[in-house]
Amino acid sequence: MNATSLETFSLLAPEIVLVLAALVAYLGGAFAGLRFGWLVAAAGIVAAMAVTRGQAADPVFSAGVTVDAFSGFIRWTVLALGLLLCLVQSGDLFVSAVSRGPGLHRGGTCEEAGTFLLLLAGLSLVGVAGDLVLLFAGLELVSIPTYILLGLKRTDARGQEASLKYFFLSLVASAIFLYALVCLYGLGGSTDLQAIAVRLQAEAATSRTVQVLLPLAIGMAIVGAAFRLAAVPMHFYAPDVYEGTSPGNAALLSTLPKVAGIVILARLIALVGPSTSPELFWRVAVVLAAVTMTVGNVMALWQGNLRRLLACSSIAHAGYLLVGIAVAAAAAVPPAAADNRSSWIFAAGGLSATLFYLTTYALATIGLFGAIAYLGHRWPEWSSGSGPRPPREEITTVDDLDGLSSTNPVAAFALAVFLLSLAGIPPLPGFWGKLSLAISTLEVDWNTPITLGSRRCWFVGLAVVLVLNAAIAAAYYLRIIAAMYFKTTKRGVQADGGLAGGLAMLACLALVGMVTIQPRGLFTAASRAGESIIPQAAASTATASETTVSDIPGPTATTP
Amino acid sequence: MQDIPSSTLLVLVPLLPLVGAILTVALGRTLGSRAHVPAIVGIAASAAVAVTLLFGMVRQVAVGNSAAQQGQQVQPVEMVTTLWEWADIPNAQAAGGTTAASFLIPVALRLDPLTATLLVIITCVGLLVAIYSIGYMHGDPGYPRFFALFSMFVFSMTMLVAASNFLLVYVFWEAVGACSYLLIGFWFTKPEAAKAAKKAFLVNRVGDFGLAVATFLLWMTYGTLNFHDTVLSDGTAVPGILGVTRLADASGYVGGAVGSAICLLLLLAACGKSAQLPLHVWLPDAMEGPTPASALIHAATMVTAGIYLIARSGPLFVACPGALTLVSIVGATTALIAALIGTVQNDLKRVLAYSTISQLGYMFASLGTGTLLGFSAAIFHLVTHAFFKALLFLGAGSVMHSMGGVIDMRRFGGLRRVMPVTAVTFLVGSLALAGVAPFAGFFSKDEILASLHSRGWPDTHGEHQEAVPAGGHAMTAGSFRLVSVTPDASRLAGGDRGSRLDALNQPATWRLLFWMSLVTAGLTAFYTFRAVFMTFTGPTRVPEQAGHHAHGAAGSAAHESPPVMTIPLVILAVASAVSGWWLFSTHGLATFLAATPSFTAPSIASTATPPVFHWDLAIQGTLAAAAGIVVAALGHLGKRSDGPQMERFLGPLETLFANRFYFDQIYAGLIVKPLEFVATLAALIDRYLIDGTVDLVARLPLALGGLVRHLQSGLVQRYALAGVIGMLLIVLALVARAMG
Repeated sequence: MNATSLETFSLLAPEIVLVLAALVAYLGGAFAGLRFGWLVAAAGIVAAMAVTRGQAADPVFSAGVTVDAFSGFIRWTVLALGLLLCLVQSGDLFVSAVSRGPGLHRGGTCEEAGTFLLLLAGLSLVGVAGDLVLLFAGLELVSIPTYILLGLKRTDARGQEASLKYFFLSLVASAIFLYALVCLYGLGGSTDLQAIAVRLQAEAATSRTVQVLLPLAIGMAIVGAAFRLAAVPMHFYAPDVYEGTSPGNAALLSTLPKVAGIVILARLIALVGPSTSPELFWRVAVVLAAVTMTVGNVMALWQGNLRRLLACSSIAHAGYLLVGIAVAAAAAVPPAAADNRSSWIFAAGGLSATLFYLTTYALATIGLFGAIAYLGHRWPEWSSGSGPRPPREEITTVDDLDGLSSTNPVAAFALAVFLLSLAGIPPLPGFWGKLSLAISTLEVDWNTPITLGSRRCWFVGLAVVLVLNAAIAAAYYLRIIAAMYFKTTKRGVQADGGLAGGLAMLACLALVGMVTIQPRGLFTAASRAGESIIPQAAASTATASETTVSDIPGPTATTP
Repeated sequence: MQDIPSSTLLVLVPLLPLVGAILTVALGRTLGSRAHVPAIVGIAASAAVAVTLLFGMVRQVAVGNSAAQQGQQVQPVEMVTTLWEWADIPNAQAAGGTTAASFLIPVALRLDPLTATLLVIITCVGLLVAIYSIGYMHGDPGYPRFFALFSMFVFSMTMLVAASNFLLVYVFWEAVGACSYLLIGFWFTKPEAAKAAKKAFLVNRVGDFGLAVATFLLWMTYGTLNFHDTVLSDGTAVPGILGVTRLADASGYVGGAVGSAICLLLLLAACGKSAQLPLHVWLPDAMEGPTPASALIHAATMVTAGIYLIARSGPLFVACPGALTLVSIVGATTALIAALIGTVQNDLKRVLAYSTISQLGYMFASLGTGTLLGFSAAIFHLVTHAFFKALLFLGAGSVMHSMGGVIDMRRFGGLRRVMPVTAVTFLVGSLALAGVAPFAGFFSKDEILASLHSRGWPDTHGEHQEAVPAGGHAMTAGSFRLVSVTPDASRLAGGDRGSRLDALNQPATWRLLFWMSLVTAGLTAFYTFRAVFMTFTGPTRVPEQAGHHAHGAAGSAAHESPPVMTIPLVILAVASAVSGWWLFSTHGLATFLAATPSFTAPSIASTATPPVFHWDLAIQGTLAAAAGIVVAALGHLGKRSDGPQMERFLGPLETLFANRFYFDQIYAGLIVKPLEFVATLAALIDRYLIDGTVDLVARLPLALGGLVRHLQSGLVQRYALAGVIGMLLIVLALVARAMG
């Protein structure tokens, strides 16, 4: 179990590869061409994938680093999404490279590629962090490159506004989250998550301090995670920021931070779940899930601006993601009944559903923004020196997509598939995701009758809200599809945003197609990940085949 | 068979037409007038594979039967190929051993005698019709589109009969419906075609709704949707709805109210797809599509999907005798009414359309008997009907092609001189349809009459038919654990609501049904030969529209169709002539089908009777057919017959028949008009009430959420403030709860 520091390095090999690639990109940028950076980024990601693949499958813990099925799932998700985002991001760059001229005043994009790699490394670190300090460091390694990317991408007023807004609010969220970590450290007397969990369980029943401070820590941690997820009450920034930045950055913002948010919440459940005090955890999660999805969808209904609409949709999807978290949180509380084993299984069910949903959501969203990047026009400043400035024609409103099916049938089809998947139309991945989320909520206290105020009642209610929201959401997704297929085009949408965006779109389309006909593979991976993070009651029984965090005693051990 | 695994072959049957369809879509414009090549090659290869599979299956059944000689029980023969698990959402509670079931939907194809038979029919008739279409659709601007849709249909239909769970059946049930919709509306610029397509679509929705709800109920009741027995990833074995485990258990099927509800919903679905009362109204209008599509989809294959569904679900129906009897009642009534309407139609294709409805009604009547004889007779008739009805439709298409699109029988006549091949093959098809010995229809119809007769007069058949068990209950025996019979289902299983329907199951009912079917046989012969006489005999008359098709033939502009169209006619004519006799005399089909898992359920297998040729019934049937032909000859042979005789003869009834029993008007009055009223009302409500409310809701954030709107104002400090307030609320709630 305990490894030497050299072994710790080997556990972190994928992150180290990413950082090395970032260094190559930074340094190489001084000597090589503009597109070079993104090639390095792609190569770095592929190398990190190879290293990850080479790592042992058995769960290992070492010096605050946890490598298990969960972190493996997160790593693979991050790297795969990173590769797709790389394409979307470089889609912008492709244009800049083509129209390189005296008007080009931006710094080289090698910096962007390097920064992007650092961001991925940070996110991957968050996935493996088993220590408060490493967790926070990882989160900051996500946040800081994000500010830079937002600032680098667009230098106009809106872009600056977006990056500043994100910067300030992210700082607030980080500060709040840091307070939560401080509380946890204070209560647990250690930065190690396992040690904290053991201590909390020992003292939860007796210590008044724990009983008061732990809810405080949980509340602040939830809010910190809510910012990453773009969930209520930290969702306000999303529309403004998405509108003001490039499609590539919007794709990044709507996916990668959500991964971090889910990791935080999942680790938090594993950490405090077995302690008896936070019975309200799941109630807060249920309320936040319901409110977030409703707010997001209702806001999106009235949006004519495509970017803001997708930002609202991203908020709504944060709500869906919280559904599985709520299920896991509810299950992580040892129920009064002695049936602990099945309780843990459905906790894992909720978490797996969320992880599955996260992946399907990310694929569709990156595909959407890839398509938008692909369909967009060059930005004015890039060719300002060469002849008359062309009109600025980025895809900004839903109306810009009118009649796309006749001008660009492939892109229209891909967009339609992504939107239908987000809406949850069978048999697309989004449907399987929503189905598994709904099933996981219904599994809570399956055998008990639905009485008012009971846990079952809350979760059945949540399932109803989920389905109603899916119906509301279908309205605005279908509106976009209707615009593409049933309206006549006012002006030809020119696909001038660079081939890479189109490639990202096609890649996402292929992946969405694969999950459509064979959702099982992804679901199995998500289940394994979900099972591995939840400390199984089975740790003390014989069936602990998947046990990973076995140092944390299961709920059976909590009874003094 | 051992060289290439049959599982691979089975996958190839639907795959090849799918590839053909994709290639046609991709290369259609490039191929131009050769756009039929991928489709025809794909279907031909698929047909070859299907025939191989059929022979393999025949051999396997023969081996099984010879082994069963000692055991005296027909062994079920099936082969299931699971391509991949489509949906696999495990249920934690199921693992814990309580009530909910895991949601597991494999993409599984099955091969058993029933499927093998239907695969051969679909692909072989499909191939002949596709070849015919080369000539028929020649020069149509939508030529590639037609073959793409055609190929797509063959793919969907083969998948429908090969799928091994109800969800896949539902998927391809919809897929064939979609292909049918697109082919009916193939000439979508014609308003009638667009309208007919819409009608077919809407009427079929009613049936599809039934199938959807039936699927839900099956899931709730049996905890799986698979036909076959499945082993889950965690090692739990789940007996399939039509798997050998459940079939072997006499009480494996839920009867009573739940069972009857499932069966009635399945019947509703079958009525929609197979155009049975009261959902038959779409099929005659569907003749607006290209004739080859009518021949394959609306005569030979897709409309028999309902027969397939009920035959496959046979054990479910047998557990609910009332619902089963209703199948027969619906079938015999439809057969009679459609035949009556068919007697006064002047549009050749519509005569055939009503004839199709009527013949499908026969098959339903036969299925409803619930005996092995009834099931195999229905499939037997399905097979022979596929041949002769496709032949008749293609013949009608040939006439239409030659007459420049005119299909009204009053406007042409004496075509036997103009189109000898069409005339002779059409006559063969008519003899088969009319049930004249020794053509195909005679034998299959005889078996159907025999199955009905055996229920009406059980004593004369030396076979007691009351082997049909009453509603069973949850199965428990064996190594398989019954995953879920919901408490409600098992409680209602013995309830009295199901048995109220069972009161229909009386010998008197069956006798009435038998007589109805016999009368229908006479009417069938009448309308068929009325059409033959009107079209092919008498002085030659050709409408002026045929002139467009002139190829310089002296005098008459009309001409025989090209060989690419007549050769399929000849092949189908041969099949129509000999298939009945061949399949009956060897008794091959019935023995073969008996090994289908669904038909090996004790409740069905126990009704097996030795193969007998029922002379008495054959004579009655032949007399009825002869009477029909004679009346038709009296009325229409040799002279121009524009229908006044019919009116004189039938009087007011003629109006009733000609107006198709006013079904369309009744639906218009009862359903369409009220719905239009509701729609208008809804539009008004939408415009004033909903839009008003929506506007109000749109203003709600403005009116109510002053705070929220200010927060979404773009001011970053407000965002931060809102976040912190939210955090405080959460923390306060948590701490308050923890303290209190």
